[in-house]
Amino acid sequence: MRFYLQKIAFYVVALWAAVTLNFLIPRLMPGNPVDIMISKMAAAGQPITAGTRHALAIELGGSSGSILQQYGDYIVNLLHGNLGISLTNYPEQVTTVIGQALPWTIALVGLATVISFILGIGLGMLAGWKRGSWLDNLIPVTTMFQAVPYFWLALILVLVLTRVVPIFPFAGGYDVTSTTPGFSLSFIGSAIYYGFLPALTIVISSIGGWMLGMRNMMVSTLSEDYIVTAEAKGLNPRRVRMTYAARNAVLPSLSGFAISLGFVVAGSIVTEQVFSYPGIGQLLFTAVSNDDYALMQGVFLVISLSVLAANLVVDVLYGLIDPRTRARS
Amino acid sequence: MSPRSTRRRLGVALVAVAAAATLALSGCSSNSTSTSSSGTTSITMFTGQVGNFTENFNPLNNTGAYLPQTNGAIYEPLFYYNKARAGKPVPLLGTSYSWNSDGTQLTVKVRQGVKWSNGKPETADDVVYSLNLISNNAALNTSGVKWVAKKTADDTVVITFPTTSFTLEPQVLGNEPIVPESIWKKISDPTKVTNTEPVGTGPYMLKSFTPQSYVLEKNPHYWGTGASAPKVDQVRTISLANADAATSALQAGKTDYMGAFLPTLKNIMAKNKNLSYSNSPQATTALFTCENAALGCTGPQTDVAVRQAMYYAMDRTQLDKQAAAGFSAPASPSLVLNTVNKAQITSPKYMEVPQKANVAKAKKLLEADGWKLGSNGYYAKDGQELDLSINVVSGWTDYDTICQLLQGQFKAAGIKLTVNQMAQNAWTQSESTGKFQMSMNSVNMGVSSDPYFQYNNYLSTSATAPVGQPAKSTNTSRYSNPSVDAAIKKLATTNDDSVKQAAYKTIQDQIVKDMPYVPVYVNSALAEYNNTRATGWPTQSNQYAFPLPWGGNWGMGIVLKTIRPVK
Repeated sequence: MRFYLQKIAFYVVALWAAVTLNFLIPRLMPGNPVDIMISKMAAAGQPITAGTRHALAIELGGSSGSILQQYGDYIVNLLHGNLGISLTNYPEQVTTVIGQALPWTIALVGLATVISFILGIGLGMLAGWKRGSWLDNLIPVTTMFQAVPYFWLALILVLVLTRVVPIFPFAGGYDVTSTTPGFSLSFIGSAIYYGFLPALTIVISSIGGWMLGMRNMMVSTLSEDYIVTAEAKGLNPRRVRMTYAARNAVLPSLSGFAISLGFVVAGSIVTEQVFSYPGIGQLLFTAVSNDDYALMQGVFLVISLSVLAANLVVDVLYGLIDPRTRARS
Repeated sequence: MSPRSTRRRLGVALVAVAAAATLALSGCSSNSTSTSSSGTTSITMFTGQVGNFTENFNPLNNTGAYLPQTNGAIYEPLFYYNKARAGKPVPLLGTSYSWNSDGTQLTVKVRQGVKWSNGKPETADDVVYSLNLISNNAALNTSGVKWVAKKTADDTVVITFPTTSFTLEPQVLGNEPIVPESIWKKISDPTKVTNTEPVGTGPYMLKSFTPQSYVLEKNPHYWGTGASAPKVDQVRTISLANADAATSALQAGKTDYMGAFLPTLKNIMAKNKNLSYSNSPQATTALFTCENAALGCTGPQTDVAVRQAMYYAMDRTQLDKQAAAGFSAPASPSLVLNTVNKAQITSPKYMEVPQKANVAKAKKLLEADGWKLGSNGYYAKDGQELDLSINVVSGWTDYDTICQLLQGQFKAAGIKLTVNQMAQNAWTQSESTGKFQMSMNSVNMGVSSDPYFQYNNYLSTSATAPVGQPAKSTNTSRYSNPSVDAAIKKLATTNDDSVKQAAYKTIQDQIVKDMPYVPVYVNSALAEYNNTRATGWPTQSNQYAFPLPWGGNWGMGIVLKTIRPVK
């Protein structure tokens, strides 16, 4: 019990720190929304007079009071689940805007991360079990894909698979002309079809790390005494591989997986840019380039919460999988 | 749980996923190319928006957060002012208008028989309501002038201004949406609604909305007939992340109407015969200089000879070719467009900036002002080297290219140029508050093609502020010249063309001499069209409306009702 209480106390402090940083960082950035709006309006040929600045200042409201007062308001609003109004999407609530983008990112990047992890761990395990087999040759290939800059890999795949051989669509989350979002077979099919290529690039570019890590852990675990004991007992090799070697070898990868799950929500700004995917990465990009503080704070908050939550879950699970972490020294 | 069962389950799951994926693939690839269902004609637009759309059809919103078709396609103003060419405003909900002699009363004849998209009649009362709604709401009234509209007959509305207000004409008649009183009077704060069920008088109305695409359909109650009635049944809007995706979409025939700068446009057009484009250069790209030492500017650019030398040291042919892919148009030192505003340029000398560099002249100007060429190839005066810095937004590739090329071109004239690439926020802020030497930006047209707007917004003392405070309008150069101020004031208070012409001459004589903004070229504004599903798009020679599908461009509505489906 004490183990879990300690963990929870730690996460409460981490949460407070994240929330506070989240409040401070946007305020340290240069520029203010009214100026940005005026330069955008001027570029679109809208009339700008002294009255315009005044009208925008009234319409956008903006923060008032001392920084402490703003901090107090921010915390109170946060507790009410109120993240404020997004300036770029004025007068829409930040929660609505994030709510629109979040499912796409979680589905795409989340599934791709899980697939990449499972494939990488599985292949790594086999490669470690049968050292010197053809699987070992796969490792340099996958690490090469990981070393290639991601945007470059993605752009090449886009060029080849959507332009040269047009198998996949080049942009969007689903086919907007033939279906509408909902729990219908045609929508889900379309979403999978549109998400396949972006997911493929994420898997290709991240599988190498999982595979290499798992293979090497597997190799060192296999030299442990308890493996020798298990083999000497005459256990089925499969049982030795799975319950004795793999279960222990996967532990370090699992904590890495927790962290990467947390970052799923941060999305992959580059993936979403290259594939025009309507997720949270694009949202964050738009928010930052428009000085939309409320939206930035909202996105950062969701990211920090999900990283913390993923870590908490894995910490707890880790205690179950590996009893050693629970024991007091 | 035994390891064996785990593995088996995993295997089954993988097979299931693979099967689902193949099914989905085979199922979708067959219908992904299908166009609209038979019978309805449809086009697809890309308006430059990235990510998810937020449902907002509030035409009164100043922040530009409404979806671009709101103003133009769904809501209409009284008249349409075409910025792409000079000419009389096009009557929409108004049919004619006249000013009284001192410019304080504007009488508008209102079109009769117009209906809202919900079938209810639109009347002069709605016009009065809409105009007063804006005038009385400080958050909506961007002009800062309070007018009063009154109905004097069923088809007549008189708008009274506190002072002479000829220059407000395009704003009031051409930039204020007319909204139904019956709906908007129930809304307590018109700035804070998203108006997701828009009811307007425009040629199109909302059919369906999802965050990734929305569809407008023909308004069955539209007042226009024949050529001015909408003919394409549906208009769909999609979002794409960047110019690469836009290029792909255009070539793949996935968009019919978009406005994006595509450097390879000529190539794309040559390869795809069904595509066409138009270029409506509007914004004069210029080196904005913080020129006024009296208001706190510092640096060599406060010296008029330096600004003049830069004007002559530029090789604009090279800039056009390499930064604008040959799509820019020659600028005029008068800062107005020599295409649209040719009649208002008062001297043939002000018609066009020199296209080739004249290094000898630039050097002569500097030497006459006391600058001495140093051994390192750069000029200096009183121990200070002629070293200028220019701010540019990193990622605005055309501007970044201009700055890099200028470094070389200015070096030949003995001027050292340092380029500061910065984020847009920082760039906007330093320019607005005057904390810069030079800034790469553009002089934009106002709400109509009347040069008054450029001159008032970029040159008048009332549009600027001392360094350290944000400029009240866009006069970030801190330019302040009493004779220019007087001439701008004259422009605002007269409707007499000969008086206006004299004022233009005063202003142009002064700014060509003072050069607060050093013009480079008139930036391209490219719109691309696909002619397979619809024709009648604007062409280079027939720009019946300013075509770029941007929010706030009422011309988009004119384009959408003019095009016709290909049978």
